[in-house]
Amino acid sequence: MKDFVLLPEALVAAAAVIVLAAGRLGWISPGARRSLPAVVALVTLVALAVELWAGATLGTYFSGGLVQDRFALFAKAAVLLTVTIAFAVVDWTAEDSLTIGLAMPLVATFGVMVAASAGDLVALWAGLELAAAAAVVMVALRRPDLALRLLVTGGVASAMLLTGLAFLYASAGTSSLATMRAVLFSGAPTMALAIPVFLVISGLAVRAALAPFQLASIPASLGASPLGAGLVLGLVAAAAATVAIKLLAALTPIPAVYSTYLEVVAALAMVGGGAAALAAQSPRARLAYLAAGQIGWVAAGLVTHYRSGLGGSLFLLGAFVVAATCGPAVMGRAEGGEHGLAGMGVLRPARAAGLALAMLSLAGAPPLAGFFGEFAVAAALAQSGHFALLALGVLGTALSLASVVGTLRTMYVQSPPDEARRTTRLPVLTGLSSFGAVAFCVVIAIYGILSSPILGLADQGAEALGLR
Amino acid sequence: MWHPAWQAVLAASPSPTPAPTVPGAGIFSSSLLLSITVWVPVLVAVAIATMPNPRGRYDTLMKQIAFFTNVGLMFVLGIAYNQFQTFLPTLQYEEKVSWLQAVGATYHLGVDGPGMTMLMLSGLIGIVSVLASLGVRERVRSYFCLLLLTQATVNGAIVARDMFVLILFWGAAAIPLALLVLGWGGHRRHQAAWRLLGYWGLGTAALVLGTMALYSAAGGSSFDMDVLLKATIAPRVQLAVGLLMIVAAATRLPLFPLHGWARDVYSEAPVGVTVVVAGSASRLGAYLLLRTLVAAEPAAAHLLSPLLAALAALTVGYGALVALRALDLRQAAAYLALIPGGVTVLALAALQPLSIGGAVLSLFAGGLAAALIVSVCATLSDRAQSRSLLVLSGLAPRMPILTWLTIIAGLAILGVPLLGTFTSDLMTFFGALKTQPIGAFAVAAGLAVAAVALATLWRRVLFSSPNPDAPGVSDASLGESWYLGLLAAGLLWIGVFPGGPKLPGTDSPLFDQGLVNVMSAGLSDIASPYVLPTGTGQ
Repeated sequence: MKDFVLLPEALVAAAAVIVLAAGRLGWISPGARRSLPAVVALVTLVALAVELWAGATLGTYFSGGLVQDRFALFAKAAVLLTVTIAFAVVDWTAEDSLTIGLAMPLVATFGVMVAASAGDLVALWAGLELAAAAAVVMVALRRPDLALRLLVTGGVASAMLLTGLAFLYASAGTSSLATMRAVLFSGAPTMALAIPVFLVISGLAVRAALAPFQLASIPASLGASPLGAGLVLGLVAAAAATVAIKLLAALTPIPAVYSTYLEVVAALAMVGGGAAALAAQSPRARLAYLAAGQIGWVAAGLVTHYRSGLGGSLFLLGAFVVAATCGPAVMGRAEGGEHGLAGMGVLRPARAAGLALAMLSLAGAPPLAGFFGEFAVAAALAQSGHFALLALGVLGTALSLASVVGTLRTMYVQSPPDEARRTTRLPVLTGLSSFGAVAFCVVIAIYGILSSPILGLADQGAEALGLR
Repeated sequence: MWHPAWQAVLAASPSPTPAPTVPGAGIFSSSLLLSITVWVPVLVAVAIATMPNPRGRYDTLMKQIAFFTNVGLMFVLGIAYNQFQTFLPTLQYEEKVSWLQAVGATYHLGVDGPGMTMLMLSGLIGIVSVLASLGVRERVRSYFCLLLLTQATVNGAIVARDMFVLILFWGAAAIPLALLVLGWGGHRRHQAAWRLLGYWGLGTAALVLGTMALYSAAGGSSFDMDVLLKATIAPRVQLAVGLLMIVAAATRLPLFPLHGWARDVYSEAPVGVTVVVAGSASRLGAYLLLRTLVAAEPAAAHLLSPLLAALAALTVGYGALVALRALDLRQAAAYLALIPGGVTVLALAALQPLSIGGAVLSLFAGGLAAALIVSVCATLSDRAQSRSLLVLSGLAPRMPILTWLTIIAGLAILGVPLLGTFTSDLMTFFGALKTQPIGAFAVAAGLAVAAVALATLWRRVLFSSPNPDAPGVSDASLGESWYLGLLAAGLLWIGVFPGGPKLPGTDSPLFDQGLVNVMSAGLSDIASPYVLPTGTGQ
C-alpha cells in the first residue's frame, strides 16, 4: 500500500506535463479537445480515489522531505476534489487556452500536495512557489500587466518568506518541521525568533490575499479568466494557508512570537474582507473579498495554537478551497457589473445555484460548508478565550452575508434582460458543466451534513502535526 | 362552565389539568416528527425550485403544493399536540444525533410546552401566509420557495435544543426573508431589506457571542442546551450572556430602541411575508429570552428584569405614540404591532409563575394579533388604493368585512375580553404588579395611548365622512377574508376558551400552565404551581 501513497502526486504531475507537451506539440485533434477536460477531470478523480484509498497509510519519503499523515490526507483530498469539480464546471469557451488552462491548475494542485506533505522547510516553500508560479502563468494569458504585478508582489512575499525561513533554520538548527518543534519546546520567545516569524506571516498573508495584503492577488483575479481567478483566489491561498498551518504547528511551543501579529492579521482580514465585499460592485470582486474574509477565519483558528483551533482551520480550509476555486469557474464570464448575472437563476439554474452556494458558503451562511468551518473555528476561539477576535469575526461574517444578498437578488429576483441587451454572455451550457455545477452544489451542501467525519479527519490532521 | 385556565386567572389558585386520554395516540408515531416539521418545507422548496415551469404554466400548482404542504404540516402538528404529555417533566419528540463531535455540537431537537405552543403558532401562520400570498403573480416559483424556507428556519429555531442548531436556523431566517422583501416589496423595499439584514445580523452576532461565552464558561465541551443552560456559571458571565441575549431578542421581537427594521418591513413587505414576520419569526425573540435567560440564568434574570420591564414599557409607549402621529396606515399598523411583543417581555420581566404562563400564551396570542393588525391594514390599503391617512376616510360602509376585521385586530392589540390577548395580558399584569409595578403601570399607560391611537385611526379611516376625492374602494375578496378570518378566529377561540381548542374527546388544551413546568423544572421561583396529578400515568 505504501507504494501507492505518492501515486496521486505522480498522476497529477504527469497529467500536467502531458497536457502541456501535447498542446505545445499539436498532438491534440479538434475532436480530442472537446473531451480533454473530461479526461483530465477523470484523472484527478482517480487520483482522489487513490488518495482516499492509500492515503491512510502513514510514512515518510525522501529522507523525511515528504510525510504522509492525516494532515496530508485531508489537504490533498480536498484539493483533488476541488480541481476535479473545477475542471468539470468551468466554461471552457471563456478560457484563453485549453491546455494551459488544464495544466496550470494541475501544477498548482501538485504544489499544494507537496506543501501538505512537506516534512521540512524546503518542501514547504517549494510547494507554495509552484502553486504561485502556476497562477502567474494563468493570469499572464489574458493580462500580462497584472501577471507582472502578481509576479513582483509575489517575489517580495517570497523574499520575506525565504528570509524568515532561513532565520528560523538558523535559530532551530534544523529544517525538519518535527525536529524544529522538538527543539523549540525548550526554547523561549526571543526577538530573534519573532522577527523571522513576522516576515514569514507577512509573506504568507500576501500569498493568501489576506485583506489588507491583497496588493496584487485580488486585482489579478479580477483580470484573469474564470479558472485563473479560481486558481489565484483558491488554490494559491490554500497553499499559503497549508504552509501557515504546518509552520505554526511547529512553532506552537512558543506562541508568543506569532499570536499577537496573527490576531491583527486575522481580524483585519475578517472585517476588511466583509466590508470590501459589501462595497464591491462586481460579482467577481465580491467573491474575491468574501474569500479574503474567510481565509481570515482560517488564520484566526491558528491564533488559538490548540489542536481544536488548527483542526477547525483545516476543516474550514477544505470548505474554502472548494468554494473559492470553483466559485469564479461557476460564474463564468460575468466580469462586468452585477447586471451580467440578471436572470441567471432562470436561464442557468444549476450554475446559479452553484454560484449562490459558493458565495453563501464563503460568507459563512448556515447551513453550508463555510458556516460549519467558521463555527468550528469560533468554538475554538471561545475555548481559548479570544472573544475580541471572535466578535470581529462575527462582524465580518455579518457584513459578508449582507453583501451576498445583492448578488442573490440579481440572479433570482431580477427578471432576465433581453439577450440582445445583455452585455456579458452567460456560461455555455454543456453536459459536463451542468454535471459539474450539480456536483459542486452537492459538495457544498453535504459538507455540513458530513461534517462530523470530515472534522474528525481534520482533527486527526492537527493531531498529526503534534498538537494536543 | 369555565375552563380551568380561566379560574386560574381569576382565582390564582390553579389546579392541574386532568391527564389527557388521547384517542389519537398511536395513529401517527415517528421518531423524526420534529425533523419533518423542519425539513419537509425545505424538500418541498427544493422540489418547487427544480420542477419545470415553462412560461409560468404551473404557477397555480406551485401555490397549491405550498398550501397543502402547510396543511399537511398543521395536521402532523395537530397530532403531535394531541399526543403531547402536558405534565411530563422532560422534552418530548426528542431527536439527538451527534453532529460536530469535535466541538460538541449535536443535532438535538425537542419540544416542551412553550415549544409546542410556538410550533402550533408557526403551523397556523404558515397556512395563513400561503393564503395571503395567493395573489402573487410574478416569479411565483422563487416566492414560494423562499416562503417555505423561511418557515423551515422558524420551525428549526423553535425545536432546536442545541445552541449550534439554534444559531444555524436563527441566522438562516434572515436571508430568505430579505430576498422576499427585496423581490416583492413596495417602493421602499431596499431600505426595508437592508434594515432587516442589519438588525437581524446584529442580533445573530449577539446570539453567537452569548452562546460562545456560555460555551466557554461551561467548559467548552458541548453546545447542548441541557449542558449550557444548566451549567453553574458565575453571575458576571451570566450578566454578560443575559445582556447579549437581550440584544438578540430585542432585534428580533423587536424592542425599542432596536426596532428600526419593523416600520419598513411591516409596511413594505408583501402581505404573506408580513404575516410570517409579525406572527412567528419575530416571536422567536421572546422565545429566546424565555429559554436562555428566564429559564436558564436565574441570577442574570433577576438582575436584568428591571431592564426588561423598562424595554417593554418603552416599546409599548413608543409604538403607541408613533402610531398616534402616523399619517400612513401601514406604518401605523407596524408600530401597533410592536405592542404585543412589549407585553410579552413585561411578562418575562416579572419572573412570576403566572406571568411566565402569560408570556407563553402571549407568544401565541400576541403573534396572531401582530400578524392580524399588519395584514388587515395592508389589505385595507390595497383595497382602498391608498395608504395615506389624509386620503382614507369613511370606509366602513363600503368595506364591512375589512372594517370588522380592523376593529378585531385593534382590540386584540389592546387585549380586550373575548380575545386571546386578554387572558395573556391579564396573567402578565397580575404577575408583573407584584415584582415590576412601575413597568406594569408604564405598559398599561402605553396601552391607554394605543387605545387613543386606535380610536383615532378607526374614526378617521372607517367612520368619518367619505372622501369624495379618494380612489375607488372594494371590500376584501374571499381569499383575503379567509386568511384574515383565520387569524381573527384564532384570537377569538383562545379568548373564549383560554384553555385552547380541544380535539373532540380529549382534554389536551393548546395552552396549559402545565406546559411551562417542563421548562421551569428545578427553578423554584418561576415554577408553575401545578403538579403532576397522581395516578395519571404521565
